[in-house]
Amino acid sequence: MKRRDFLKGLVGTSYVVLSGSSVLAPLNALAASGAKASEGWLTTGSHFGAFKMKRKNGVIDQVIPFDRDKYPSDMINGVKGLVYNPSRVRYPMVRLDFLLKGHNSDTTQRGDFRFVRVTWDKALSLFKDSLDEVQTKYGPSGLHAGQTGWRATGQLHSSTSHMQRAVGMHGNFVKKVGDYSTGAGQTILPYILGSTEVYAQGTSWPLILENSKTIILWSNDPYKNLQVGWNAETHESYAYLAELKEKVAKGEIRVISIDPVVTKTQQYLGCEQLYVNPQTDVALMLGIAHEMVAKNLHDTKFIEGYSLGFDRFLPYIQGETDGVEKTPEWAAEITGVSAEIIRDLAKVMTKGRTQMLMGWCIQRQQHGEQPYWMAAVLATMTGQIGLPGGGISYGHHYSSIGVPSSGAAAPGAFPRNVDEDQKPLFDSNDFKGTSSTIPVARWIDAILEPGKTIDSNGSKVTFPDIKMMVFSGNNPWNHHQDRNRMKQAFQKLECVVTIDMNWTATCRFSDIVLPACTTFERNDIDVYGSYANRGVLAMQKMVEPLFDSLSDFEIFTRFARLMGKEKEYTRGMTEREWLNKLYSDCKNANAGKFDMPDFDAFWKEGYVHFGEGKPWTRHAAFREDPEINPLGTPSGLIEIFSRKIAQYQYDDCPGHPTWMEKSERSHGGPGSDKFPVWMQSCHPDKRLHSQMCESEAFRETYTVKGREPVYLNPDDAKKRGIKAGDVVRVFNDRGQLLAGAVVSNNFPKGVIRIHEGAWYGPVGEDGSKEGGAEIGALCSYGDPNTLTQDIGTSKLAQACSAYTCLVEFEKYQGKVPSVSSFSGPVEIAL
Amino acid sequence: MSTETAANPVNQARSTVYQLLSSLFAKEIDHKTLHELTSTQAQAFWSQLAAEADFKADVDVLVAEFAKLNSDKALLELAADYCGLFLVGTKHSASPYASLYLTSKSLTDKPVTKGDEPLLFGEQHQQMTQFLKQSQLQVQSEFPEPADHLAVILAYVAHINTHSSNQQQLQFIGDNLANWLGTFVAKVAKVDTGQFYIALAQLTLAWVKSDVEWLESES
Amino acid sequence: MRWLLNIWRTLNKPAQYLTLGSVSVSAFLMGIIFWGGFNTALEATNTEAFCISCHGMESMPYQELQETVHWSNHSGVRATCPDCHVPHEWGRKMGRKIEASHDVWGWLLQSVNTPEKFEEKRLEMASREWKRFDRDNSLACKNCHNYDSMKWEDMSKLAQKQMKRAAELDQSCIDCHKGIAHKLPDMGTARAPELIAEVGSGVNGLEVDQSYFSALTKPLYFNEKTDVEAGTLNIATKVKVLALKGNRAKIGIDGWRKKIGAGRVIYYDFGLNILSAQLTKDAAFEEGVIQTFEEKEDPMTGLKWQRVEAVIWTDTDYLLSDLQPLWDYARSTYSTSCSVCHTQPDESHFDANTWPGMFQGMIAFVNMDQDTQALVQKYLQEHSSTFNKSAH
Repeated sequence: MKRRDFLKGLVGTSYVVLSGSSVLAPLNALAASGAKASEGWLTTGSHFGAFKMKRKNGVIDQVIPFDRDKYPSDMINGVKGLVYNPSRVRYPMVRLDFLLKGHNSDTTQRGDFRFVRVTWDKALSLFKDSLDEVQTKYGPSGLHAGQTGWRATGQLHSSTSHMQRAVGMHGNFVKKVGDYSTGAGQTILPYILGSTEVYAQGTSWPLILENSKTIILWSNDPYKNLQVGWNAETHESYAYLAELKEKVAKGEIRVISIDPVVTKTQQYLGCEQLYVNPQTDVALMLGIAHEMVAKNLHDTKFIEGYSLGFDRFLPYIQGETDGVEKTPEWAAEITGVSAEIIRDLAKVMTKGRTQMLMGWCIQRQQHGEQPYWMAAVLATMTGQIGLPGGGISYGHHYSSIGVPSSGAAAPGAFPRNVDEDQKPLFDSNDFKGTSSTIPVARWIDAILEPGKTIDSNGSKVTFPDIKMMVFSGNNPWNHHQDRNRMKQAFQKLECVVTIDMNWTATCRFSDIVLPACTTFERNDIDVYGSYANRGVLAMQKMVEPLFDSLSDFEIFTRFARLMGKEKEYTRGMTEREWLNKLYSDCKNANAGKFDMPDFDAFWKEGYVHFGEGKPWTRHAAFREDPEINPLGTPSGLIEIFSRKIAQYQYDDCPGHPTWMEKSERSHGGPGSDKFPVWMQSCHPDKRLHSQMCESEAFRETYTVKGREPVYLNPDDAKKRGIKAGDVVRVFNDRGQLLAGAVVSNNFPKGVIRIHEGAWYGPVGEDGSKEGGAEIGALCSYGDPNTLTQDIGTSKLAQACSAYTCLVEFEKYQGKVPSVSSFSGPVEIAL
Repeated sequence: MSTETAANPVNQARSTVYQLLSSLFAKEIDHKTLHELTSTQAQAFWSQLAAEADFKADVDVLVAEFAKLNSDKALLELAADYCGLFLVGTKHSASPYASLYLTSKSLTDKPVTKGDEPLLFGEQHQQMTQFLKQSQLQVQSEFPEPADHLAVILAYVAHINTHSSNQQQLQFIGDNLANWLGTFVAKVAKVDTGQFYIALAQLTLAWVKSDVEWLESES
Repeated sequence: MRWLLNIWRTLNKPAQYLTLGSVSVSAFLMGIIFWGGFNTALEATNTEAFCISCHGMESMPYQELQETVHWSNHSGVRATCPDCHVPHEWGRKMGRKIEASHDVWGWLLQSVNTPEKFEEKRLEMASREWKRFDRDNSLACKNCHNYDSMKWEDMSKLAQKQMKRAAELDQSCIDCHKGIAHKLPDMGTARAPELIAEVGSGVNGLEVDQSYFSALTKPLYFNEKTDVEAGTLNIATKVKVLALKGNRAKIGIDGWRKKIGAGRVIYYDFGLNILSAQLTKDAAFEEGVIQTFEEKEDPMTGLKWQRVEAVIWTDTDYLLSDLQPLWDYARSTYSTSCSVCHTQPDESHFDANTWPGMFQGMIAFVNMDQDTQALVQKYLQEHSSTFNKSAH
């Protein structure tokens, strides 16, 4: 009865305590009935695939593949986990010390300090104030809003377009050129084959299947990488891979995978593997070329008619220029491939129709330009460039390249650029003598060494003094190299703004974080089938934006309103009107060629199908008439020797393909005495870069002890006392990480793999949250870029060199910290 | 029965306490809330609450913390505590969602094989939405959170305090609040770098415990 | 009703003014008259009702008009069918008008009585109207919209720039403003319709010894008569008109060629892969087509180049007096189309010979017809670091 007395005592005092409103409200009649409305299947798409969704009680319930996707990726199972993710950025937030001190905040706290929730109005005005401050104090060279990444799909809400248009209406900023995926390739190949090649449509699969006798997959794993696409992927390439598998089984096509590891594709096709020491592909190619010349297997007529500079390359092969003859024996020593096999390869490649299919990994290493150049030379020597099922491709593992294009026009997009008649609020173009465009992977260099001048693709780049960064739908704390160097650089920044849907490491290292809704919380349209351009897809909103998130369109419309430029930003059109316009423009562009219904009918149906395309052969027009259809090279011909590159006089990219030793190389190369293991950080099997890593339940289908898997050779593991399932510490002088051991014979001695895109989760020495921002902190989840080298491929491309990376690993003996990657800025081990 | 309950001033008092706790978990403390929480009447309320031995220690901490909130900066620091605990975290921090503490997963720590079970807006959210609907209620549109947020559950208890039988209240609290509150509070205690939210969480736990005892004794 | 009287007058003209074709449609015209006469009494002023009753047009153009600013706007002025489609200075020219458009009346009656048929004929009909607007320099528009009375300060900067240039040239409105009162026709295989809508279809009345720029990639011919193609003139290429005969112009193309193959590709300048024209092999070897001058070796490739001038024929259409409108169109297309996936590099980021490789390697997701692609590539090359040393 004491308690009753106590409660009675409370009666008199309690009424006055609260005046605030409750989190509950009377049930609104509309909501009560509305939940049942439109619970049918809706259509949408993503990098992982096009699919359909069904809601239950207003929550996404079922996800099934799009009807026309016959080879769906299981990644669409992770979509619900992306949307209903505990790592959602739920409200606009500002780092506390930044809120208190603005541009004078303590930046060493960035990465492990404290945020507070603010209103959208407050967050956006802080954002604008920071831009004002930087433009006023430093001008456009102080702002880098040019780093952009893979965003989410959708032509209207594309996050980088919105950010760059809105920030561009405020003022000018430093931009980037190139990208992390193909930086070296897209720079060298225009000199050699007259196009970036990496992003160009390739010879159609049906022609390859019909004509090729041999297919060489060089450092290429299409079966893994074709799961994701730049637009809504519908995985048509897999049908051709299935056909190829049959032909391999019947002995009709010989497929050789040249790779240090057994790839997923090789296992699927049941084809041959040729092991090569990591980073030595150029030596292998030179050995093959030497043999072709020695046995007169090369097509001299083709070389004469279609290329330039073979005569200046030949002396190098024969050792006349550097005293080293590039014999198969010479190559065998470096590559670990026997001279006999090298000789056989030269024969095989020149005998029947041979299609070379290059992957992108080998150009993400120091001198990454060279293997692409040398491969083009080999293909030229076979004389098969421009023939169906022959020659070389640099893209058949990407976004449905090789699937015949429908030929239809795809929908356009919300404009990225400021409209021509608009001037930014801060209209200065004074970059103070520094460069307004920098090679994409050199921005950390710029922050650390402003004013420094470097060589880049034939010109000079002087680093601007960057004080503020803006990121949207982009996670450089995944794709850039060397986390600890990034931390040093970020401490020099006055302000970092990130717009994203979940708490990426980039959000964690920011001052202002704005919540964007996911693709599935807004309406949009996209092309499906990527390079095949198979049709237009309606991306129908599944649920309203969760928490306080907004669509990119809405975020930057509000931002533009702050600048007094809302109408200029939206051109006076709503989301719906824009969708209608993008669709109608596409319909007009296709008029007379491809029938498209009106917008409402399209939206109801969910898609428009353009039908099949016609098979096509890359470089066939050039082969047919090189004078009328020249390549985009300086000469219009294949350039085996490039005078243009030669006159740059770069020691790390001379005038013809050259074997050059790397700064770090395993299997007896430099640095292998201290760190003997080569780490490959290729594109993941279960994610798109870092997208989808946060999807909890899906992640748990592949993690080991909650960590990113590290794939180990059984002997290497045994030597270090490691069993499958152990937590492993991987380290070098640049950093350290924890990962979960997977022991597999698919990986040779001295080679480990950790897929890039594993979310960075730094923890302090004792695994506590303190220390996350510290230089040298342990990554608790297994981000391989904690260990990679932040150097340019060469003075030519200045691209990322993540694959030139040596490490050592051991069984982790310390107290295992909990994973801090998926937790937002505050993380505590329990 | 239910009208009788509604009229009962004791239940009204209980309801007010649940409502207060709900509000404190629902958002950061601002100047206005602080003013109310430290008014003369509120002081009387706090001292009455502190009269109960189980609550005293935590109430004393709260009242002492209120006194320290004498500047914008102090309020911001507390807001940062709130943010770190409840707004940005996951199951590794002290997120205030029942679903993160009640899934079979967190109980058994077995890896889930199905790759598509969401953690937010899951089963508990659906259940709470149904409860609210039965009572002709919904979550405020200005509070864009799943219905299994602690603040929603506490507010709903405040509602049923004056609308449902003791037995029904007991059952609801047992099935939807008391079964995870302890784990949540332990987490707050481990995670919080300040004093305030530990005290608030512990007070909430103590209050719910004593309330359950009272409801049992009344039944 | 003045124009009705005009028709009367036309019909009363001596018969030698009327061709057989127009006589055959006189029944139609009489229909108009009788209907008109009858109707005048009933509803004297409703001229668009008058038009659509015969030009039933399945009411489509009429409905389309009603959704445009020419129908409904805050000034309350409304443009009806005859305002745009019936020449305002009828008078003595009427006979010739009917003569010229006799076929229009003919197929209007039979061929467009369903929406499908109408859509099929829309381009043809629109083209006729555009040509007519072109001929009288958009006089029908200018009766209301006068360059002299435009308020420049109310226009956006871009609009000002474009309109002022148009005003200086007293440009025909329809050059740019197509599809504003009715739906734009499905251009089908018509080439680069948006480009042509923007820059116009060429100068009327070329002058000998003047220089012009190609608005499209144009066929070249051996002489003023033959349809045998002698090659193609690339878009945005400067040519000099040497002689005119009927619909053909004899032109001179200055440039350089590589001394490889037949030497039948003419480039803009020494060592620069900026395409001007491609000749067929026959044309390249035809006496008098290519005049050759000095030779030089390109140090970047080691290839020999030779200065040349080609003299050859082309049609007189799609030749512009000014290059700038082409560049303006190219710049805005580049900025819009090439920023869909990523930030487009500055024009001056690459040199003239690097751009083709970069551009060709990136266009998979870009919606551009062949002419526009060629134009944008040329725009990038001619605004590259080779020509613009200031940036970078």
